[in-house]
Amino acid sequence: MALDSMTATLLRRSVARELEQASSVISMTDLGMTYPNGKVALSDVNVSIAAGEFVFLVGPSGAGKSTFIRLLIREHVPTSGSVVVAGRDLARMRRRHIPGLRRRIGIVFQDFRLLPNKSVYENVAFALEVTGSSRAEIRRRVPQLLNLVGLHEHAQHLPTQLSGGEQQRTAIARALVHDPAILIADEPTGNLDPVTSWEIIQLLIQINELGTTVLMATHNQEIVNAMRRRVLALENGTLVRDEQSAAYEREY
Amino acid sequence: MRFLRFVGFAVVRAWQGFWRNAMMSLAATATVILMLTLLAGLFIVISGLNSGLAFIESKVAVTAQLADGVTPTQRNALIADVEAMPGVRSVEYVSPGAAMIRLQKTYQDRGQRLDLGGAPIKLFASIEISLTNADQAGRVGDALGERPEVARIITKQAEYDKLLGVIGAVRTVGLVAVGLVGLTVLFMIINTIRIAVYSRANEIEIMRLVGASDSFIRWPFILEGILCGLIGAVITVVLVAIIWDPIQPAMVRVFQMPTAVSAQFLTTLSLLVLSVGFGVGAIGSWISVRSYLSAAR
Repeated sequence: MALDSMTATLLRRSVARELEQASSVISMTDLGMTYPNGKVALSDVNVSIAAGEFVFLVGPSGAGKSTFIRLLIREHVPTSGSVVVAGRDLARMRRRHIPGLRRRIGIVFQDFRLLPNKSVYENVAFALEVTGSSRAEIRRRVPQLLNLVGLHEHAQHLPTQLSGGEQQRTAIARALVHDPAILIADEPTGNLDPVTSWEIIQLLIQINELGTTVLMATHNQEIVNAMRRRVLALENGTLVRDEQSAAYEREY
Repeated sequence: MRFLRFVGFAVVRAWQGFWRNAMMSLAATATVILMLTLLAGLFIVISGLNSGLAFIESKVAVTAQLADGVTPTQRNALIADVEAMPGVRSVEYVSPGAAMIRLQKTYQDRGQRLDLGGAPIKLFASIEISLTNADQAGRVGDALGERPEVARIITKQAEYDKLLGVIGAVRTVGLVAVGLVGLTVLFMIINTIRIAVYSRANEIEIMRLVGASDSFIRWPFILEGILCGLIGAVITVVLVAIIWDPIQPAMVRVFQMPTAVSAQFLTTLSLLVLSVGFGVGAIGSWISVRSYLSAAR
């Protein structure tokens, strides 16, 4: 009887783990990254992020947030452990499969990275054009995205004619062109005033509610504290905290 | 369909890229024109010399001056023997009278008059032997030398060898010159494409982030280099076509090259210029893309 209940518990646990892994869109196991110059950027990171989660990644500068993100988009290859994103083992991924991975991940940055000589419409269309989409597809998809981020009236404007918030919305629209499973936002509000920052956060929440997993690296304590979402905290390359409904700083 | 979209994308981007840094692209194109003009000139001269060589080869290859007192019977027997030798195409008898007329004509052609000053000059009777292959000259000459009817053997071997030497020298010097200019061209194209890659660094970064495949990133640059080479080649072909009118008669006269008249020659030359232009553009941009694009990932 005791044995049966133990087996049942173990079985339940393993099923739970499998379910978790099946639904996890990002999974890092004993992940380590040492740069060629010997600097240890990350060590022994174990994280599993389920599809549809909204996760903050926090930590002081140099804690390893950038490396964390670069490993997810396979800009770097881990030196130990494994990282699986949207079902792909990135450590073993061949070079020619990288573009496919990048289409499953949207990414936005603090500095927007828009092309200054292209309009809002063209900036978003560019991402479709360079991945071989047809004109018909571009004509159909770009207005949808501009509607989603609330920029349809600015479609013909150049980035220089836009506010910081509008530029970041353009970048978000571009990041979503391939309907990615994950949206990574690296300090998306770093260059924005508080009101605009909140607008961008609202947009990210909206996108998350539509089913996209959102991972946001940030220094913005106010936002993290107000949102009460899952928080991953890095310090000196190690994951020091992984809490649900958490605050920017440790609360106990 | 997808492939056509890719080709369209790459061609449009290459064209934009070419004009984006027009100074650099046009400078590279100019060096391509210089190299290809040299190459075309070399091709024309070598073809001319080769055809001159073939002309000499087809002419009298061995002349045997006959000894005094050879009777017509002996002479006919000799001709019959020579005609039976392998490698001999035809044998012609030139009488002393005919030789004199020929000599006078040579002087006339040069605008001079043969002035013998009244001296009684007697030219030798000879037989002129043309061969199927100029290499046979030595063997035929040796065989004739053993005959008592023959006083002296004159072959065109020396002349032939001299021309062969000239052709070899022209070809070597020409190819070295074309090669050196070719290296400059390659350097110019590599540099042009490198600058194009750097000026598009932001776009390339975004292309990578949104999941553009390597071919979408690379091919526009490779096509841009090919464009430099091909535009240069087309301009060179036009240049050659323009100056061909005055060149062509000279080719026929100087080099005895009847084929210069045919369109075939110009077609071959154009194809050579176009393919070398294409090749140098493709190789240069390929080197550039390999060394400046893959490092950036």
